[in-house]
Order: sequence, then structure tokens, then C-alpha cells
Amino acid sequence: MIIGSNLAKVYGKGSVEVRALDGVDIRIRKGEFVGITGASGSGKSTLLHLLGLLDRPTTGSLVIDGVEVATLSERERTLFRLNRLGYVFQDYALVPELTAEENIYLPSKVRGMTAKECTRACRDILGLVGLRDRVSFLPGELSGGEQQRVAIARALINNPAIILADEPCANLDTRNSTIILDLIRKLNRELSQTVVMVSHEEWHRNYFDRVIVMQDGKIVPEGEIPGKP
Amino acid sequence: MLEEEQVAFFLASRLITRGNKGTILLTIMIIAMVFVNLIFLPSIIAGIVVLFNQQNIDYSYGNLVIEPREDELLITRVTELQQKINRIPGVVASTPRYSGAATIVYKGKSTTPLLVAINPDDEKQVLKIHTSIASGDYLNDGDTGQILIGTTLAGNKDQKVDRTPTLGGVEVGKTVEVTFRNGVTRQYRIKGIIASGQFSVDSSAFIPRKELESVLGTTDAANQILVKTGTTGTEDAMRITLMQYGVKERIWTWQDKSADFLKSIVGSFDIINVISTIVSLVIAVVVIFIVLFINTVYRRKQIGILQAIGIDRSIIIKSYIFQALFIFASGTLAGCALLFVLLQYLTASPLVFPGGPVAPVLEPVLLLRAIASLFIVSLIAGFLPSYLTTREDILSAIRG
Ligand SMILES: Nc1ncnc2c1ncn2[C@@H]1O[C@H](COP(=O)(O)OP(=O)(O)OP(=O)(O)O)[C@@H](O)[C@H]1O
Ligand SMILES: [Mg+2]
Repeated sequence: MIIGSNLAKVYGKGSVEVRALDGVDIRIRKGEFVGITGASGSGKSTLLHLLGLLDRPTTGSLVIDGVEVATLSERERTLFRLNRLGYVFQDYALVPELTAEENIYLPSKVRGMTAKECTRACRDILGLVGLRDRVSFLPGELSGGEQQRVAIARALINNPAIILADEPCANLDTRNSTIILDLIRKLNRELSQTVVMVSHEEWHRNYFDRVIVMQDGKIVPEGEIPGKP
Repeated sequence: MLEEEQVAFFLASRLITRGNKGTILLTIMIIAMVFVNLIFLPSIIAGIVVLFNQQNIDYSYGNLVIEPREDELLITRVTELQQKINRIPGVVASTPRYSGAATIVYKGKSTTPLLVAINPDDEKQVLKIHTSIASGDYLNDGDTGQILIGTTLAGNKDQKVDRTPTLGGVEVGKTVEVTFRNGVTRQYRIKGIIASGQFSVDSSAFIPRKELESVLGTTDAANQILVKTGTTGTEDAMRITLMQYGVKERIWTWQDKSADFLKSIVGSFDIINVISTIVSLVIAVVVIFIVLFINTVYRRKQIGILQAIGIDRSIIIKSYIFQALFIFASGTLAGCALLFVLLQYLTASPLVFPGGPVAPVLEPVLLLRAIASLFIVSLIAGFLPSYLTTREDILSAIRG
């Protein structure tokens, strides 16, 4: 369960102040697959960064699974990210010097899993994302879609309650986007992970349980979303 | 805790083995060079100091120098004292000397060098001057009317080459005129010319003590007795032993005697050393820093991502320290290899200084100092950039 109240993020100061988020109230239930859309610059990424504990709100409160995360120390936030969140970046963000498998098991190694456990969990997840035969490939040897699947696998390895994805399909063609979206929905359904995903694409809406539309740093109220009955 | 190090080590090893090999190799080579640079010059200088010390022992002072008692100008009853000294355990031999200025004239050229009166046979037991006869022969105890001169004093035919007053290239067999300080003038035939490499020897002249006594009318007097002991390095203890055996004359060690000279050269060398060390270290610091800084800044985005997926900054910093330590260790090893090759080469074809070949002296302190300073530099160069990068805001790091 994610509860954000009156979240604001202000960049800059004085006359060049940018209110990237301006009083956002958001509630996301456990197991929901939520899509965030909106025009470029409307604050989607900013919101996701806050939910992913990559940034701190200027004001407002954010409670994730009963923990007020705004007050956590830097180290506690890092641990929270490691144990409870899985973040998927638009540009995959894999470590180029690590193989697919090593990229995936790095976060579990940090949690103190033994090499054997890591390898097993890793193979399972690679099977899940359909890359069992790419175990020892370096990111540079994988296609964009494959890299993104490795990134998703990495986000999954510690079995997080929440997966956050910022335009994970932006660099992919329709075929690969479909693979990724199918995969994320499968995880959402089968592992009942909460998923919050930013997307521009109209056709992605079919995958989401609910769509949050953003405009000028605010969430557009349900009733006012254009093009939705 | 150990898990952190394991992960850091894992990351470091992958970044090194799968990273840019060229950069790593270059950095290792630079560290190797700096390592050699930190050690090479000081070891040569240490070698030169050892050579100079040995020269001083072999050609000027022996191990101990005995001089007249306080308030006296001469050592009297030299033979008796010499016999007493020679019986003291630890003493190998001793040789009395009577030196003073004298004016030597050859073909109108006149100079006033130090004229040393020696017992030629005793000298052979204590010093090595007799092994450095460039032409002619060494003196014998019974020689009369013969003189030994140093090659610097003999000089060159072309006087422009000489930097000190000389006899203009006088040769063995020629006769020079010596005026002693009591005004007596005598003719001497040059018996041999010494080329020892030791300036004080090569610019002096030598005659037998008996010869001088016949001129001055003194008997059994000297102003120095040089003593050779069984081992070098125990001079201070031997000095005390001599005193315990009742030697009342003043006793100096060769270190005391060459202190001023050594202080001045060692002092100059120390300055060279310090400058060279500082320059090497500064270069090392700058280069290692630049390379590791660039390496870290280059991976700024990656560091941000690692933090974003929940990897603690301490793990990241440690992984960069491990990388730096790897580079340090390889660089030092390569430096040792390089140094070994260099020393082998120098053993095969040594650097020749006036006075002989210089063998580089590799002092353990020097090695430790070089290793320690490189270690610290690498540690800082590994720590600082990653510390700074992980301290900045994750999002700006990810944006690159
Ligand atoms: N670091 C920053 N400093 C200043 N302004 C920023 C910063 N990051 C974002 N902004 C501003 O905040 C606003 C929201 O940005 P955000 O990245 O959240 O938009 P977005 O909805 O994700 O857009 P896009 O669809 O293009 O990714 C923008 O006007 C942007 O210029
Ligand atoms: Mg965005």
C-alpha cells in the first residue's frame, strides 16, 4: 500500500522555481497495476522517483507499507530500495561489465544470499523472463528488449512488494514492448506484486488496472480524464 | 560485514577484468615507473656515499685517527705508541704520518701542496694508496731523494685543463725542488704518480718519514697515526678500547674526520633526493588521481544506478578502493621487476665515479617508504572520487 499526501517537489528557487509536483495525493493498493500518463514535463518521472526513494519530496508525506519513508536515513532508504522496491529504468541501466546473471544476482548478493542460492534464484528468474540461454551474455551482447528483461529480472530478484518502471518500453519496438508488458502483467498477476508504470503509449492502457493522468505537476481527477467514459 | 567486502571485491574484480584493459595497464605502468623513480636515485646516492666512505677509509683515514694530545703539536715517541697500539686486540695495523705544507717547484712552476711524510711499509698495511700508482713505483722505507706525487698535483702539460695550481705535467723520473717550512730546499726525483680518485690524496705529495726527519731534525715525531681495525663499523667501540689501553692522545673515527665533507655531500644529495622524491610523488599522486578520477567519473552513472537498486555506498566505495589496491599491487610488483632488471644491468655495467664503480644500495627503508607512499596515494585515489560520487544526489549521478 502506497499513500502519498500532498506531495510536492520544487526545483530551483526564487523566480526560476519549477513546481514539478504540486500537491499530489496518491493511493495505490497492494497488487494494483497502475499506469501513469500525461504530457511531457507533467511530473510523471518526478513522482516515480519519489515512490522509488530516489529523491525526497520538498513537502508532503509518503507512507509505503506502513513506513513513513520521508524520515528514513540515507542508509535506511538504500536498504528499503534493496529489499522492498524494484526499479526499472527506461535505458535498462545494466552494469556493462557484468553478465546477465551477475547483473541480476548483484542485489541478492548484497542481501547475503549464498552463491548457490543466488545462482538458483537467478536461473529461475531468467527462465521467467525467457532468457535462460543468455545467462553469461554481457549487456552489450543482448538486444534492447533482452536487456530490459534482464533489468526486470534484476528488479525482481529480491522479491520486492513494489515494482516501479519509468517508460520501460520507450526504447523498444512494439513486439518487444508487448513482451515486456506481458511479462510485467504476469508478475503482477502471479506474484501479486504492486506495479506502478509510467507510459506515454495509448495502447498500454489496456494492461493497467487503473490509469493516473498527470498535468502540470498535479493528478487530474478521475472524472475529468479526457477520452474516458 | 564480510559480505559487503565480498560484494565489493566481486564488483571490483569484474570491473577490472572486463573494463578497459588499456587504462589499467597504463596506470599500472605509471605506478611501476614512479616506484622505480622513488627508489633508483636514492639507491644510487646511497651507493655513492658508501663509495665515498670507503674511499675515505682506504685512502685518507683508515678506521681511527690518532692526533696529538690536547695542547700539544706533535705526537712524540711514535714508535713506542705505535707498538702499543698494534698490540691492542682488534687493531690490524697503524701508520704514523707527519704532514705539513711545502713548496714544490718544477720548471718555474711553483705550488704549495700538502707534503705527507709516511712509513711506506706501514702505510701498505693501513691504506690502499700503494695500489693506485698510475706510473712509476711506490716508495720504500729506505728511499732517499725520492718523492711520490698525486696526479692532480702533477697536472697536465696543457695547463688550461688544470683547475688547481699544478706542476705542469711533471713525469716520473723528473726532478722537482722542495722547500720545507724551515727554509731547507732539496731536490727529489719523482718515483711514482698516484691516481686514487680521492682529491686530497691526488693533490698531495709523499716522502718517507726518515727523509723529513733528516730535514727538520726531529726524531720519532708525527702529527697523525692512522689505525686500521679488524672490522669497519665498530670504530666507536674501538676508540674506547684504545683509551682503555692507555692511549692518551686524541682519537677520532673516520666518520668524525670526514664529517664535514660527508655532511656537505650527503646534505646536497639529500636535497636532490628530497626534490626527486617529492616530484615523483606529486607526479604519482596527480597521475593516479587523474586516472582513477576519470575512471570513477566515467562510471558516475553506473554508481548512481548501483545506489538506486539498493547497493550501499560503502560497498561501492570499497569496490573502488579494491580496484585501486589492485592497481597499486600490480604496479608495485611491476616496479620491483623493473628495478630488478635495472639493478642487474647496473651490476653488469656499473656507473663509474671518481674513486670507482658505484653499486646501488637498496635500503629496505627506502623500499618500505616507496611502497607505503604509493599505498597511501592509491588508497586515497580509490576512496576520494567514489566517496564524492556516492555522496552526490542519485538522480544527478544517473543522469550522468
Ligand atoms: N533536476 C531538475 N531540476 C530542475 N527541474 C527539473 C528537474 N527534474 C525535472 N525538472 C522539471 O520538472 C518538471 C517535471 O519533470 P518530469 O521529468 O517529472 O516530467 P515527465 O512527466 O517525466 O516528462 P517526460 O514525459 O518528458 O519524461 C519538468 O518541467 C522538468 O523541467
Ligand atoms: Mg519522465
